[in-house]
Amino acid sequence: MSRLAGRLYLAWCALFVLAPIVVVCAAALNGGRTMLFPPEDPTLERFVEFFVSDPVWTRALQRSILIAVASAAIATLIAWPTAYGLWRRDTKLSKLLAASMAMPFALPPIVFGVGLGFLWAFSGLIGTIPAGILSHAALHGALPLATISIGLQSIDRAHLDAAATMGATERTAFRTIVLPQTIPYTLSGFFFALVLSFNEFIVMFFVSASAYATVTLQIFNSLRNGFTPTMAVGAIVFILTSVAVFSLVARFGDLPRLMGADPSRR
Amino acid sequence: MTAARPQASGGRRPGFGAVQALLGLVLAALCVAPFAIVLVVSFGQVVEGASWRWALSLENYLRFFVGLEWPASTSFLYLQKLWWTLVYAGLAAVIAVAFAFPFTWLTTRQSRRIQTVWLVFLLSSLSLSEVFVVMGWDVLLSNRSGLPMVFRETGLTDWLQSVGWFDTLRDWGMATPRNVRFKTSVFATVLTMSYLVFPYAVILLYPALSRLDPAMLEAARTMGARPFTVIRTVVLPAARLPLTGAALLLFVYLLGAYVVVSVFADPARQTLTITIYESVRGATLNAPFGAAQAVILLLTAGGFLLASLRLSRLAEAKA
Repeated sequence: MSRLAGRLYLAWCALFVLAPIVVVCAAALNGGRTMLFPPEDPTLERFVEFFVSDPVWTRALQRSILIAVASAAIATLIAWPTAYGLWRRDTKLSKLLAASMAMPFALPPIVFGVGLGFLWAFSGLIGTIPAGILSHAALHGALPLATISIGLQSIDRAHLDAAATMGATERTAFRTIVLPQTIPYTLSGFFFALVLSFNEFIVMFFVSASAYATVTLQIFNSLRNGFTPTMAVGAIVFILTSVAVFSLVARFGDLPRLMGADPSRR
Repeated sequence: MTAARPQASGGRRPGFGAVQALLGLVLAALCVAPFAIVLVVSFGQVVEGASWRWALSLENYLRFFVGLEWPASTSFLYLQKLWWTLVYAGLAAVIAVAFAFPFTWLTTRQSRRIQTVWLVFLLSSLSLSEVFVVMGWDVLLSNRSGLPMVFRETGLTDWLQSVGWFDTLRDWGMATPRNVRFKTSVFATVLTMSYLVFPYAVILLYPALSRLDPAMLEAARTMGARPFTVIRTVVLPAARLPLTGAALLLFVYLLGAYVVVSVFADPARQTLTITIYESVRGATLNAPFGAAQAVILLLTAGGFLLASLRLSRLAEAKA
């Protein structure tokens, strides 16, 4: 009885989470120019528009991908020494560095967006793609920082002591023990930052200064200026990217452990 | 490798200090400076037109709390915005946690494999842009298709009218004379906000609930406690701190919601995020005042964040 109730509850939650996703995906099939559900006159024309023929969307997609990949790479690159410093030497400086890296992610992004807007305006970089990339790297650095830290903590210190007794330098130990064991966590962090950057809206809203649009910005513009089913295609791209990326993370890394489950239990 | 010198683990490698110094500079410029700039600009003064200059005036803060015309007259317009910011975020955070708790509990009882599938599903929906979620609910709640249509077609509207609840809905602004209406309403705003953070709530509760000692549950069960009793007397008390901590974190996160409010909230009931945007980039163009509003939002969020950190420390100390 209670088992059935439990199943029903899980199913209901899944339905709740899926409902808007399904609706948006179906809306992409609309033949007309309005977002209707269920779709009228179903067609795949909107997919062609999004990926091939409509320059507004193809440009937005290119920019989104560029910003997501570059910012995730930079975020991971900055997060590595920060996490390593925190793990290897538990000093005040290391803690301060880690805290300042986590701060933008923890506080309301709109405040960070306003601040970055001023920063780039003062330095004359507002509305440029590099400014967008650096902004997202700063915003999402907390994610690789967290996953890499979890990875470093999972390393058995006895291995390091053994390596040191056998005469390995810190550099050698790093190359032969630390790096191989943390690669899955580094990749997970990179992908978390990638997906979040791809979906991020408000910070980009402030730093792009209407000079260019990413897919989320373009969707928001369409939301305000009347719906077009093409924007639903953009949404489907988000979904598929996210599912693909997190499946990869689950396949090559230990997702339950990353999310904080007890590693000893199966 | 030339000479194998024995080196104590944790020994200082020259060069790492330089790396950390460089790192400090990068992080100070990218992560800390934006917040500092907002704080400094918030004391600035707006000049005729849309520009502003550096200053050290408190007029922006004064305007926030008592209005522009003070002391001749007072206006609590922006305090009202702050109030709605807190109301939406608070309601949505509590609702999300309330629904996520049984969900997470049931998920952690499954095998590791099924847990992974659920986690992929949730993480995918969690990473969804606010823009995307709002678009989905916008279609679902719109008057021409979606829920209002379902209400009419299934006769639910007629039924509501016959029992008299329809008038109550109209009083709440959630119905037109002919059918239910969800846009714009507090209901739509809170619903979409709780949808936004539901996956976060699950992820936040997951560690605590998946680490609960199985022996304790086993003991309760062998003593004849029914599943619901186990949850009420064992799981819920053990998860009290994580539950409160999760609600606080989600609350802080939702303080910054922008798209949801701009689409679903009644203009009279909009939040600070909207007015911040309008001051900094939108119609009213008053950057220092926008910065002052941002500082107040930041202080509010920071205060609650500190409280939640305290709480998690407390939870760790207990464990």
